[in-house]
Amino acid sequence: MLKMTNVSKVYRTDTVETHALREFSLQVDEGEFVSVTGPSGSGKTTFLNIAGLLEELSSGSYELDGRDISKLSDKERSRVRNEKIGFIFQSFNLIPELNIFDNVDVPLRYRGFKADERRRRIEKCLDMVGLASRPKHFPAQLSGGQQQRVAIARALAGEPRFLLADEPTGNLDSAMADSVLDLLSEINNSGTTIIMVTHELTLADRAKRNIYVRDGQVSDEAPELQLAVAGGQG
Amino acid sequence: MFRYYLKLGLLSIRANPALSALMVAAIGIGIGACMTIVTIYYVMSGNPIPQKSEILFNVQVDSWSPDDPYDEPNEPPEQMTYLDATGLYQAGDDFKQVIMFLSDRVVQPEGEDNLPFEIESRATTHDFFDMFEVPFQYGSPWSASADTAEERVIVLSQALNEKLFGGADSIGEQVMLNGESYRVVGVLDYWQPIPKFYDLNNNDYGMPAQLFLPFSVAVANEHGSAGNTNCWKPFGDGGYSAFLNSECIWIQMWAELPTAAEQDRYRQFLDSYVTEQKTLGRFPRDLNNRISNVEEWLEIQEVVDEDVSMLLGLATLFLVVCLLNTIGLLLAKVMRRTKDISLRRALGASKSSLFSQYIIEAGLIGIAGGVLGIALTWLGLRGILNLFSEMDFVQYLVKMDWVMVMSAVLLAVVSALAAALYPTWRACSITPASQLRIQ
Amino acid sequence: MEFGPIWRSLLRNKAGYVLIALQIAVTMAIMVNAVAIMQERANDMARPSGVDEDNIFTFASIAFVPDTNMRALIDEDLDLIRNTPGVIDVIATNSFPLRQGGWSMGLTLEPGAGQESVGTAIYFSDEHAVNTYGTRLIDGKDFDPTQITWNEESVSKWAPAGIITEALGKALFPDEQGSYVGKTVYINENDPVKIVGVVDRLQAPWKGWDIVEHSMLVPQRRDGEFQRYVVRTEPGSRDELMPVIEEMLANSSKDRIIQQMRTMTEVRHRSYLGDSAMIKMLMFIVTLLTVITGLGIVGLASFSVSRRTRQIGIRRALGATKPAVVRYFMLENFMISTVGIVAGGILAVALNMFMVNAFGLRPLSWYVIPSAMLILWIVGQLAVAGPARRASEISPAIATRSS
Repeated sequence: MLKMTNVSKVYRTDTVETHALREFSLQVDEGEFVSVTGPSGSGKTTFLNIAGLLEELSSGSYELDGRDISKLSDKERSRVRNEKIGFIFQSFNLIPELNIFDNVDVPLRYRGFKADERRRRIEKCLDMVGLASRPKHFPAQLSGGQQQRVAIARALAGEPRFLLADEPTGNLDSAMADSVLDLLSEINNSGTTIIMVTHELTLADRAKRNIYVRDGQVSDEAPELQLAVAGGQG
Repeated sequence: MFRYYLKLGLLSIRANPALSALMVAAIGIGIGACMTIVTIYYVMSGNPIPQKSEILFNVQVDSWSPDDPYDEPNEPPEQMTYLDATGLYQAGDDFKQVIMFLSDRVVQPEGEDNLPFEIESRATTHDFFDMFEVPFQYGSPWSASADTAEERVIVLSQALNEKLFGGADSIGEQVMLNGESYRVVGVLDYWQPIPKFYDLNNNDYGMPAQLFLPFSVAVANEHGSAGNTNCWKPFGDGGYSAFLNSECIWIQMWAELPTAAEQDRYRQFLDSYVTEQKTLGRFPRDLNNRISNVEEWLEIQEVVDEDVSMLLGLATLFLVVCLLNTIGLLLAKVMRRTKDISLRRALGASKSSLFSQYIIEAGLIGIAGGVLGIALTWLGLRGILNLFSEMDFVQYLVKMDWVMVMSAVLLAVVSALAAALYPTWRACSITPASQLRIQ
Repeated sequence: MEFGPIWRSLLRNKAGYVLIALQIAVTMAIMVNAVAIMQERANDMARPSGVDEDNIFTFASIAFVPDTNMRALIDEDLDLIRNTPGVIDVIATNSFPLRQGGWSMGLTLEPGAGQESVGTAIYFSDEHAVNTYGTRLIDGKDFDPTQITWNEESVSKWAPAGIITEALGKALFPDEQGSYVGKTVYINENDPVKIVGVVDRLQAPWKGWDIVEHSMLVPQRRDGEFQRYVVRTEPGSRDELMPVIEEMLANSSKDRIIQQMRTMTEVRHRSYLGDSAMIKMLMFIVTLLTVITGLGIVGLASFSVSRRTRQIGIRRALGATKPAVVRYFMLENFMISTVGIVAGGILAVALNMFMVNAFGLRPLSWYVIPSAMLILWIVGQLAVAGPARRASEISPAIATRSS
């Protein structure tokens, strides 16, 4: 379904050239749960940005469902992000001024769905993550775990081709983290493809396939075991 | 602590030059617009003779038509008839009174090359100069006996003396007016009350008359009145003398009444005069005499132009808009510094010390805005002078004195402080360390 | 269009937005009323005086030698002037339209005291007045030379004929459908005046008088020392003739001075000086105000965008196109502006009612408020356009940054 071939990303300033990704190749099939792991500075964030069409790649190709999406216009890229990808961020990234309902609503608005269609999807997804009873609450009124669930609901509402999760439990304590990971597994079991980027190996274990990244490239070696600190940051 | 806050304030202003400049500009412009109009209003409504304004009274008697009042709702006429002015003046000789009117005369200077020119002349009884504290450069007013004897004497203004005699002591010289010769007995020093409170029927803010001559002489020589003349009743045949005996009002009258007792006595005097006139068939209206002191009179006469009052209202609203702008800018500034605020609170600053810090900073902006406002006010007044360049008197209205300058700064500071209240309150509400990322 | 979420988020964080809305509201109130005042003044200034302003000039002649034969002097002056090439006609009179000083009387329909009177300006004239002013006789006829008399000092009776303006006729005889010519009114309580002619327009000297269209030409010449001459010239000749005539009269008699030589255009200008200055000042204030409010919106919008970079990045990550981001901010601004404009409309009406009461301002024309609303909407949208565009340039990659 998703295929990256020899993708490179180079950041250039006047004096310095940084190769964040080199000849990076990856293939993900429908229904997989893949983790992309590596220490900080390994390029996994860059991978995330490229996979999520948040940045353009410097060279190589990126195909989604057979279509090359690496050279699209900004408008088309926005469309792909909106319809095909569901983001889950480490710091939840909910919009503080909006209530839960309106937060989940955001990508649906850009989709152009009518009001009842949006309402249907929002209610379904909030129910799926167990927060159907709190649509009018604001992010500040929820715990970290609950906020991340809302973010997951938001990611699912558009029925994307895959979820792209960036350290989804990075800001959560271990109990909340477990419940979020359980939720992700559940979602994957019902058929949704998930790509998860993390630096914690324990997290990576929850995925069904692991990819290791080092120095901007896919590496065969698993990195050294790192002690995962609850709530730590990459 | 005050010096510390002052220092912090200055540092903050320097650290945000664009934002601070915008704030100073917003306040400065608002103050400039407001104070331009306020200055004009202030001059227009000023008390021209504060040391005596409480004891000088304009005299009004209601000699008007039985059918309608002179002015709604029941205002007596603003001027007097000749009969009443002279009647009251003669009967009330133990009061200090003055009766007068404005006329136009042509001065005929000596020498073939000097062309005649027209000036305003005031025909008045001798009391004018003492009552209104008119300063003399040379000589003195004519005496009461000169009034009765109808002596042809005049007092010149400083400007006229300058023009005719080069500013020298011209006492005893003769001046020809419309073919009549007058002897100079006094020359005034520079004198320009603003407004010309003693006669608001002719150009409230212009120059006073250039020369003064006795009332009795003017009447004897049938000098016409150059001011407003209103008659409710036709006056019969007989030209000037019919005019003098008519119910036409054209004479101004003032009295100096130093104590409340004097004022009461004068009121009774007016009442008994009018009552007596009623027996002669005049004064068909009910008793309606008035005495108004200078400030009261200025208000009754609405000496401040309505346009100025309207502009004052609009300029104040303009200032409000500028202040709203300033509040927004201050709010933006505060929100930008939430980290700094939160840190200070974490390190032990109390809400009130934060409040003081920000208020003082606002005060500094206010002072700067006030200074800019003064400069803009000066510009605004120049602009107004330009707009009204054909009207000479406007130059006297557009002067800023120290009171206005200080008011501008004060207004700016007060406005800045008022604008700062809400943003500062928001700043103080920021909880300690809330903005610091503690992991 | 996401009205709902935007509205709800505005309510959450009211402070900055309330300020913009308030600013817009007060700006609107000022703008609307300033325009109302400007309109009123402009309308006043546009009123024609009824005379041929482009070709008329006036001056004063002040005799100062006692016992001057004024009648001879006046006749001589009029003769000299009339015979000057380029002059159409001239009169010696007491006043003229827009001079701001003159003579007024009350006219009644019945003789005797205590009658309701209609005020009018009085212009002492002769058979040349209508031609000199260039006003149009629409009924009746001009004075006949035999009707013209000189005033007598010892006699205060008024001339028995008069030419009135149409407006004065309407005020005197409101129910009359036919001609006013031949009707009699009374002046100075008892003196009858037969209306011999009606002119369409001739204003009184006081431009601020509410009956400024009431004037009456009186067929009487006055021999006072102070005379005002009104001279009408051929088109284009006025400017050259003025100094010529001034010198001619200065030389013809040394017993008087000539001054206040002014074209009618200048008379009008001086008369309306306060009004034209007011218009200019208000224009300046309104422009300055709009600029300040516009800049205020730019500032607060920029600031608001900078506070929400993260949110904007998230939206972009979630699929918002650049135009969608711009639209979001334009819409948000539109909603804030609308609140301000509606509040401003109410404030403007309230302020206007106050001004009508306090200053006698005429009530607003219907189109002023909608026009002001439109302008402020446009200003608001223009002001937010820059910050909105900058917002759209924010990279979606901000969403994945950790701080």
